[in-house]
Amino acid sequence: MVVLGMVILTSLAFDFTNGFHDTANAMATSIATGALKPKTAVALSAVLNLIGAFLSVQVALTVTNSVIRIQDSTGAPDAQLTANGGSALLLIVLAGLVGAIIWNLLTWLLGLPSSSSHALFGGLIGATIAGLGFSAVKWVGTDTKLDGVVGKVILPALLSPVIASVVAMTSTWVIYKVTKKVTEKFRNDGFRWGQIGSASLISLAHGMNDAQKTMGIITLALIASGQWHDLHAVPLWVKGACATAIALGTFIGGWRIIRTLGKGLVEIDSPQGLAADSASAATIIVSSHLGFALSTTHVATGSIIGTGLGRKGAQVRWAVALRMLVAWLITLPSAGLVAAMTWAIGHFIGGLAGAVVIFVILIGGAGYMFVHSRKNPVGHHNVTDEWDGGAGEALPAAPAKTAKEVAR
Amino acid sequence: MSQVWLALQAGVQVLFAALLLGAGLPAIFALGMRSLAYGAGGTAEVAMDSKPRPIGKVLAAVCFGVVVAAILLGITWIVATGMGYSLVFDHLLPSFRKK
Repeated sequence: MVVLGMVILTSLAFDFTNGFHDTANAMATSIATGALKPKTAVALSAVLNLIGAFLSVQVALTVTNSVIRIQDSTGAPDAQLTANGGSALLLIVLAGLVGAIIWNLLTWLLGLPSSSSHALFGGLIGATIAGLGFSAVKWVGTDTKLDGVVGKVILPALLSPVIASVVAMTSTWVIYKVTKKVTEKFRNDGFRWGQIGSASLISLAHGMNDAQKTMGIITLALIASGQWHDLHAVPLWVKGACATAIALGTFIGGWRIIRTLGKGLVEIDSPQGLAADSASAATIIVSSHLGFALSTTHVATGSIIGTGLGRKGAQVRWAVALRMLVAWLITLPSAGLVAAMTWAIGHFIGGLAGAVVIFVILIGGAGYMFVHSRKNPVGHHNVTDEWDGGAGEALPAAPAKTAKEVAR
Repeated sequence: MSQVWLALQAGVQVLFAALLLGAGLPAIFALGMRSLAYGAGGTAEVAMDSKPRPIGKVLAAVCFGVVVAAILLGITWIVATGMGYSLVFDHLLPSFRKK
């Protein structure tokens, strides 16, 4: 029971990091072009994520099925893992979540927009390999179905930024062509509204897609420990808790990542913001409808690069893009490695004590990174400062503290 | 290799649908902005010397209307699908049908 409680808390913590890690995907461009004030932007995004999470009524219980084999096709957990109150399954899920959260926090500290879904899948895969061996991971799908780590994670991650950037590039090119005879001020004022609309759509789609992953994992843990039996529904309190966690995370705002995406990659104007945001929204919504699983982060980054390529004279900072690419490549294995080590620690200490130790490690690691982030804070006050320096200078120089901030 | 082939097929589908929506709707929005500037005249246009032309505002309203309608329809469609309904068009009017 205590372990189940920790799994639920850790899931919600992951959902929270998922929220603030991905605020940038929807709102970075609107903040960068000044279409929305930073605080307004995160508040709007948070509300839409909340609504989106409640609208996502599809049962996401089988979310882990595409990469690991701990459930059957109906979503029921494997019988051998549910013995003894489901402790084997709970430990795998707990360790997986810890790996995902640690990786999400580390990339946030570095201001890198890495994919939360890759972190989650990576964590679960790592914990599964450690706990059940390589054969419990579904690496590739069948000849007729796109599935497994390759089909559901790696290939979509390679294709989705390309798709998004082609769409954004086309859109940018068309927009500037059509509005060539409109003065810049008139154009920018109008496009701000369109930008807000398209950014809102991304937030809504994000709430619908991402919150249900956590809902599925909590429900799976409840079923494994015998607290819930319905394979076709998510308990209402789980839905409410997940929706709230992702919305709160979004509201806190991952300012470091917003800065990198909004200011670091390309300097953008409102029409480009609209082009990038509509390309992201369309790609995410279309692909989730077609069942082609992709990461919001990869799509948003691809769109922003695309809009830089589509406008004559705009420059893409490839050094920053390269740094992101590296982060994407190592997200899955890194989260997996952390999760595998976490599982090992939990397993060898064993039982309740093992789970408690893991939980304490997570809190310690998260606390350390939070303290570290305070040395060079990025917030709504400096998120749109001029981007000086290259790839390594992702964060603004530590600003002199104003009297107001010191007083806080 | 079949996985790569399947992913490419799915990717091409996503690309075309996303191009239609993600570049098509912004293009209509841009046309709306162009019409609005045409309607406003004066400093809204690079030429800077034209008088206001009311027809531009009408055209702009049509363009923006199409964009908003498409988005609302899209959201309705997604939510309806999620709740197990399908959106069908009877004589051009959208209505819901339980799956």
